[in-house]
Amino acid sequence: MRATIQALSLLLFTLLFALANYRLPDWLPADIYLRLDPLLGLSAIVAGRAWVSRAMWGLALLGATALVGRFFCSYVCPLGAILDFVDPLLFRRVKRRTLEADGRLRNVKYVVLILFVAAAVAGSSLVYLLDPISLLTRTYTFALLPPFVGVVNLVLDVVRPFTAALRWMSIATLSFVQPVFYMSLVTFLIFLGIIALGRLAPRFWCRYLCPLGALLSLVSPLGRLRRTVGPECPACGACQDTCPMGAAVDEGGTRLVECIQCRTCVAACPEDIVRFSASAQPLPIGDLSWPDLSRRGFLYSVAGGVGLGFAVQASPFTPLQNKVQLIRPPGALPEAEFLTTCIRCGECMKSCLTNTLQPCLWEGGLAGLWTPKLDFRFAACEQECNVCGKVCPTQAIRSLDLEEKTHAKLGTAILKKEVCLVWAQDKLCLICDEICPYDAIVFRTIDGYRRPFVVASRCNGCGYCEQRCPVEGDSAIVVAPIGQIRLRTGSYVAEAKKLQLDFKPNPGDDQFLLKSEGLRVESEKHEGAALQAKPQAAPSATKKPKGFLPW
Amino acid sequence: MPRNRPGVSRRDFLKAASTGLAVGLAGQSLEASAAPAYDLAVISGDPAAATRKAIEALGGMSRFVQKGQRVVLKPNMSFASGPDRASNTHPAVVYTVAQMCLDVGAEQVMIVDNPLQSAELCLRRAGVAEACKGLKDTYVQMFTDRKFYREIKIPQGKVLDRVEVLKEVLDSQVLISLPQAKSHSNTGVSMGIKGLMGLIWDRWSFHGKYNINEALADLATVLRPKLTILDATRALTTGGPGGPGEVVKPNLVIAGTDPVAVDSFGVGVAPWYGQRFKGRQLEHLLAASQRGVGKIDVEPLNILRVIA
Repeated sequence: MRATIQALSLLLFTLLFALANYRLPDWLPADIYLRLDPLLGLSAIVAGRAWVSRAMWGLALLGATALVGRFFCSYVCPLGAILDFVDPLLFRRVKRRTLEADGRLRNVKYVVLILFVAAAVAGSSLVYLLDPISLLTRTYTFALLPPFVGVVNLVLDVVRPFTAALRWMSIATLSFVQPVFYMSLVTFLIFLGIIALGRLAPRFWCRYLCPLGALLSLVSPLGRLRRTVGPECPACGACQDTCPMGAAVDEGGTRLVECIQCRTCVAACPEDIVRFSASAQPLPIGDLSWPDLSRRGFLYSVAGGVGLGFAVQASPFTPLQNKVQLIRPPGALPEAEFLTTCIRCGECMKSCLTNTLQPCLWEGGLAGLWTPKLDFRFAACEQECNVCGKVCPTQAIRSLDLEEKTHAKLGTAILKKEVCLVWAQDKLCLICDEICPYDAIVFRTIDGYRRPFVVASRCNGCGYCEQRCPVEGDSAIVVAPIGQIRLRTGSYVAEAKKLQLDFKPNPGDDQFLLKSEGLRVESEKHEGAALQAKPQAAPSATKKPKGFLPW
Repeated sequence: MPRNRPGVSRRDFLKAASTGLAVGLAGQSLEASAAPAYDLAVISGDPAAATRKAIEALGGMSRFVQKGQRVVLKPNMSFASGPDRASNTHPAVVYTVAQMCLDVGAEQVMIVDNPLQSAELCLRRAGVAEACKGLKDTYVQMFTDRKFYREIKIPQGKVLDRVEVLKEVLDSQVLISLPQAKSHSNTGVSMGIKGLMGLIWDRWSFHGKYNINEALADLATVLRPKLTILDATRALTTGGPGGPGEVVKPNLVIAGTDPVAVDSFGVGVAPWYGQRFKGRQLEHLLAASQRGVGKIDVEPLNILRVIA
């Protein structure tokens, strides 16, 4: 029963992850697991000093925990489900005795929680490092999705000769775009480490480390569904031996902070006297309903967290802010707020249509680990897609409609004439112009050649030019964050208007255009006149568009 | 591709033979009057009707596609924009051609391009996939992985001696080119010859490494569409190939077996960048004609001009 619910929850989590792509309908909250996590919301609000309305979903989970108890960990948490499912596969034969340091280790998760909350108070968002939902979403994105797609494509390649011979063309021509990410291996190793810890104790992660579990455990003793043991308990210790959380204590007692209501003890009890029943009793006050972290431990944790919070920010990256070459997603909050609000779940990078969103390593400093950046040399930001904001659980990337998103200028393309094939080598290249969706590249005749220029007021920094530039190595046209628009609130369209930017491409901007001509073609056709054109007076050599020879 | 089909019953054979004979006779009687096939068919009208008429004027689809053959259609659909912007071939043109191929017994119609924007978005916006959804044995597919391409030699190549071409094209019996008439800031215009670039893997070298006009002519010597149908129902006269730019409406469909002649005629139907040009003024067309790909002067050709 519990395993079924866990499997369903894991399936739902995976399904929502899969649905997070540019076709995501507005009504579907693909990031719902992340929103429900009260720790992520708390950290974003405290560190960012700003209201995050999506974080209010976290209250629902806190409320449910206060009402029922810490059921989330054993029934809902997708990471818990994975740990439970792999445990019998990997560690069935391993004899695990309760660790000697069990009591102290159980406090580690509170230290972790306090560290992160204190760091948030100091203005640094670090909770992402160990928050289970953020960590698992990130792992899915960077470490599991790419090999999954790779394997699917491999299978398709293997069966391709057969599907082609059978003329199953839909399958024979099928191949999925392989997503790729920086930091895949690092993310994977962390995930592997968490699984490997299960060698020492079942649910090692949940029992000793998980800060979300620690937060929930603070309210879970209020829950009315409690473990009770009949008075005839012979104290055989079966429940204590099997409890994955160390929640069962002598003489039928229960550490209410630790109990996740998994009911392993019910099955283990030879006397069949363990019950989980709704109790109307008020909260029993005592050692078992509050973590036994010492005052000293608490104070050290607070001090450590505050110190860590300041240390993360105390680097030149903080004052440098927008002076580094780093392009953030469209709708990203101003850099300082962005860094404190982003929870590094990787959902934006997973859903990105073009795969241009990539995790930072050191580009944004220690405070910018795993934050999304755009890698334009690799891929561009597609103007018809706005999914990154839609799936951002803390709205570090604001959810914008396409019109607003188009005006959230990312930067400006800078042409490097000394590298550009047309400027430096008189080659026939137009790719930046060809691909630019905003007509921000214009050609003007210089030294007898038509050469490209960037119209800054029309460039919204989408990066197509940088991606497609055929120069080997660094692109000859590079998007810099110059003129990026990043607003905490308010309309990007209004801001762009104020700045006199125009992202509506203007078809009239071409120096060879003579408007009356187009109309004459129309009228010719309607009169049924000769379809064949007569050449006009020879155009002068300097005015001739590329590709045409003199007549 | 040789196909062995042992075990065809006599009855089936007779049935097929008599059907074939009947179709052949019927076709002959219909088109007997149009026997001196035109070099070019220039039809004015709405995209679907004009396309149909153009193909019929050239002798019907059965002249190009035999029963059981696999056909590749190459329209322009590499930009995520609809027909109004005139950077992609009109979906009705593509649909009509695919339908006519199936009508004469094509085993499969594969509609392909190698997109410049997200393949998925291009497929949705260009409208071809939507238009052809109901057609059986018809697939609209973007091939964005190198594994779908195979290198071939270009014996006549001047600047390009080998090129990686979409396998689907190499393994099919018929290639039909369905270009959109549009301007191009490098090659002047982008029509049938330029459209062949959508069938190869490495297009970027055409801009960076080679003289694009010469490379295109080289490519045209190995990629030989049996039929080219230029969609000039709308023409993007500036801002091409991707647009946005000035769109005029010549309302024409130009079809022929000679890709250079089709393009050359197409050059004349609209002003490009505000000026009138002749086919001979297009460097890549001239180079292609010099390689013997087709005729660049359209004046001596037998051209049918009608309204659909």
